[in-house]
Amino acid sequence: MDRVSFRTQVLTRHLNNHHSTSTDLLHPATCLSYSPPELWEQPPDYDTKSLRKLLDRDSMEEIDYMFNLMIQSNLFCRRERGGKVFILPDFNQSMEQQREMTMRRIGYLREQGVFDGWLTRKGPDAELSGFTRANSCGVFDHSFGIKLGVHFFLWGGAIQFMGTKRHHDKWLKPTETYEVIGCFAMTELGHGSNVRGIETVTRYDASTGEFIINTPCESAQKYWIGGAANHATHAVVFSQLEIDGANQGVHAFIAQIRDKDGNMCQNVRIADCGHKIGLNGVDNGRIWFDNVRIPRENLLNSVADVSPEGQYLSAIKDPLQRFAAFMAPLTSGRVTIAASSMNTTKKGLATAVRYSLSRRAFSMKPNEPEVLLLDYPSHQRRLLPLIAKTYALSFASEYLKTIYVKRTPESIKTVHVVSSALKATLTWHSMRTLQDCREACGGQGLKTENHVGQLKSEYDVQLTFEGDNNVLMQQVSKALFMEFLAAKKRGKPIKGLGLEHLNKPSPIIPSNLTSSNLRTTQFQTDIFCLRERDLLHRFVTEVSQRQAQGESKEHIFTVTYQIAEDLGRAFSDRLVLQTFLDVEATVPAGSLKNVLALMRSMYTTIVMEEDLSFLRYGYLSTGNAAVVRKEVMRLCSELRPHALPLVSSFGIPDALLGPVGFDWIDANAWSSV
Amino acid sequence: MAPTNQVLIKESSNVRTIILNRPKQLNALSLEMISRLSEVFHLYEEDPNVKLIIMKGEGRAFCAGGDVSAVVNDINKGSWKLGANFFSKEFALNYFLATYTKPQVSLLRGIVMGGGAGVSIHGRFRVVTDNTVFAMPETALGLFPDVGASYYLSRLHGFFGEYVGLTGARLDGAEMLACGLATHFVPLEKLSLLEDALCKANSGDPKIISNIINKFSNKNPKLKEKSQYFRLKTIDRCFSRRTVEEIISALEKEADKNMDDWISWTIQSLKKASPTSLKISLRSIREGRLQGVGQCLTREYRMVCTVMRGEFSRDFFEGCRALLLDKDKNPKWKPSKLELVSNDMVDRYFAALDDKDWEDLKLPARSNLPSYAISKL
Repeated sequence: MDRVSFRTQVLTRHLNNHHSTSTDLLHPATCLSYSPPELWEQPPDYDTKSLRKLLDRDSMEEIDYMFNLMIQSNLFCRRERGGKVFILPDFNQSMEQQREMTMRRIGYLREQGVFDGWLTRKGPDAELSGFTRANSCGVFDHSFGIKLGVHFFLWGGAIQFMGTKRHHDKWLKPTETYEVIGCFAMTELGHGSNVRGIETVTRYDASTGEFIINTPCESAQKYWIGGAANHATHAVVFSQLEIDGANQGVHAFIAQIRDKDGNMCQNVRIADCGHKIGLNGVDNGRIWFDNVRIPRENLLNSVADVSPEGQYLSAIKDPLQRFAAFMAPLTSGRVTIAASSMNTTKKGLATAVRYSLSRRAFSMKPNEPEVLLLDYPSHQRRLLPLIAKTYALSFASEYLKTIYVKRTPESIKTVHVVSSALKATLTWHSMRTLQDCREACGGQGLKTENHVGQLKSEYDVQLTFEGDNNVLMQQVSKALFMEFLAAKKRGKPIKGLGLEHLNKPSPIIPSNLTSSNLRTTQFQTDIFCLRERDLLHRFVTEVSQRQAQGESKEHIFTVTYQIAEDLGRAFSDRLVLQTFLDVEATVPAGSLKNVLALMRSMYTTIVMEEDLSFLRYGYLSTGNAAVVRKEVMRLCSELRPHALPLVSSFGIPDALLGPVGFDWIDANAWSSV
Repeated sequence: MAPTNQVLIKESSNVRTIILNRPKQLNALSLEMISRLSEVFHLYEEDPNVKLIIMKGEGRAFCAGGDVSAVVNDINKGSWKLGANFFSKEFALNYFLATYTKPQVSLLRGIVMGGGAGVSIHGRFRVVTDNTVFAMPETALGLFPDVGASYYLSRLHGFFGEYVGLTGARLDGAEMLACGLATHFVPLEKLSLLEDALCKANSGDPKIISNIINKFSNKNPKLKEKSQYFRLKTIDRCFSRRTVEEIISALEKEADKNMDDWISWTIQSLKKASPTSLKISLRSIREGRLQGVGQCLTREYRMVCTVMRGEFSRDFFEGCRALLLDKDKNPKWKPSKLELVSNDMVDRYFAALDDKDWEDLKLPARSNLPSYAISKL
């Protein structure tokens, strides 16, 4: 049957879609015709593959392998538009159908051996390859990526990092083979970002050697648990641990919630979170535990344990520190979110930019051809800075992946701060870009099959899960504050997090900026450092003044949020610039390096133009701000010829972009109805 | 260029029939033929009097491939750049055919291999028949599936393209139709009737042409009982693996479960092929899946020049010696094992050549690329 239908497809393609009707000579065609931008856009004088390699580094081949697997399987809803094959989930399916499809796609990858060694192989390369696999799936469909992420990074990661050998031996292999399907029950209806406030309680029964997990009230129900509504058989449950009436803080336990036939376990109640604005291919559920008993060995005991007699044992005495040590490995979630948000951004931009290179609107003079969208300076201003920013942030995302997989106990704090800052910055950029791309595609942006519009709702959740962006940014500022104080206390220069520039004298910004000033790395670094340094000083001053007036620290951090958010962004932008410069330094002089420099200038200039803190705190005079604004326009026109190669070098295959980026006339022709 | 008798042309009002005419060499493409084909195809595209092009071979074969023994001879006598010249002409022709604006009907009688596929599969209509034999046998020769094969093989169903490209498996007409390499199956005895009908119809309208071919077609030619096409599931399961080593071990696992002639042949053909060829071929098909036909040919040109230059491996020359010249059928590959071919070595085949006189393939400019020319299969 497969064979027959495939052949029919081949034949119909030849008969229908490619058929160019013979032209009637009496009525010459006046219709618009599509011509691929590749034909007349100037080819780049650098190798686009080398550029892509700066983004995807050594993962390039593995990414392409994943794309190959998806494109070749009917499970990924292959469809033909305008003579090309595209793959895209069928969002017209019901929520239940979408969830089933996600599981079938996972089953397909499992059969191809894609998951072999994901959790059982060790080392930086193995971890990187896990990111690559999950993120490549996320390029096809966010639900697909998240469903894998929950199972491998959250459930699998919890067992790897919070568990010990007994857990590794028992659970990791069956997780890779999907004999066990895991979920991660942390968030509750009443508590999300504030994990320490969760209300689920676990007590120990020494007489049977079991823990008893209980949901004491409605606000303690586990909420948004990905995988819980339909498929998961096991959960990592986060809960307060109470030993002899004393609360020992949040701990994690393994609890079975379904048997292998999918029946709910005794004393476990599960309900669906229902239809969502996106991510409907993930079965988010709610869980109540009615004094569920689990063996003592199911406590993930990397940091603390309970003896068979019921005695609490931990190497770390301070519960706050214990909690921090315990949660640190879970940073991987933020690392993948940051990376996956860049993929989405690339998809949206590549589609919108390609469309803007083939769609025309309005003529300058009567009877002249209409003007290409991307030849309008205003359209350039909408899209081109976003390309430069996406490159800058993607470099930062790669940097984050690297420091994560190479983490050491000493670097864990840096990883935590950097991942918080970048997760927020990158996901905000992603949502903003998708909105601009949607508008840049006009009405075509509204069609689900063109991706950009749909991606907005699919990815909106990124701003919230694994830590609300605003909360994360405040945490970043708080961490910088602490670092600053600690260095002061030690009486030593500040070190780490890239803050070393604080030890040097404050940089001087020229009072009359010129276009060439704006493009030097010296100036760019100076003004980004100046902003970070000044905001940190202001923050420290404000906090200490309030402390001197007797206000509590907790209170102070809640009321200084404005400057804290400005500082968080300043830290993040300076960090991104630094990683950009590091990448640039690896490229030999030549045309590729030049285009990188152009993008770096675009990135820094656009940040100065868009972030009010430069004017608010006077890093830019109003005169200089005007120079910056003019420079943005100039940079746009210089970047314009690079638009196509830059989005091609994102490395997202045509099949995963929106058909509107290609022959949108043929794709909408009557013959294709 | 002086007309050659290696390519014959029959004119019948608006139809041109191109006949590959080197029957003793099974119509293997010489540089002379490639040049002549390029010339006439360019001519016909501009000529409003030409509406349809039919292509066929004289004698038993359609075309057994590029004339590689001549290429090897040239290289041995002169420089690898003579080989590069041959392939640049051939690939440019392949690209021209893949983006051709007028319909081409290829009548694939007998052998269609390598370069023969390159001058037919990219065209609009590929008509196969009872005695058609298709293969991309390059890995056994120390080469890799070229002439744009990384484009059309990668677009076959599932991972059939990897299977065909790596093992050099032979497909008959029914299998070609089933997998999409062919568009029509016409029984041998009706092939010349079809040709006459096409000439008589004198039309360049793809719909009309298709209707005519359909009249002579067998819509559902029977696949032979032991056709490899019935093994698609196994093929997908094994040939979807990431590396050649994993493909072989997946096949061996299948063989443990269920050994038969086909699976042992498949494993044997992979073990006999050049390890370097296998690795670069797999990567080429995988990259090809994400690229347009022009990009595929440009990449293949880098690869083929690296092969001709013979700096990292001289398997191509060894393969030609063992299979075409000495015919001892016992090539000594170097590196001799898959695990000796490192990723770095494979990378070299995909990079621009480090040679000041060398340039990337220059694709002929196509001013009005129709959408169907971008993707055909």
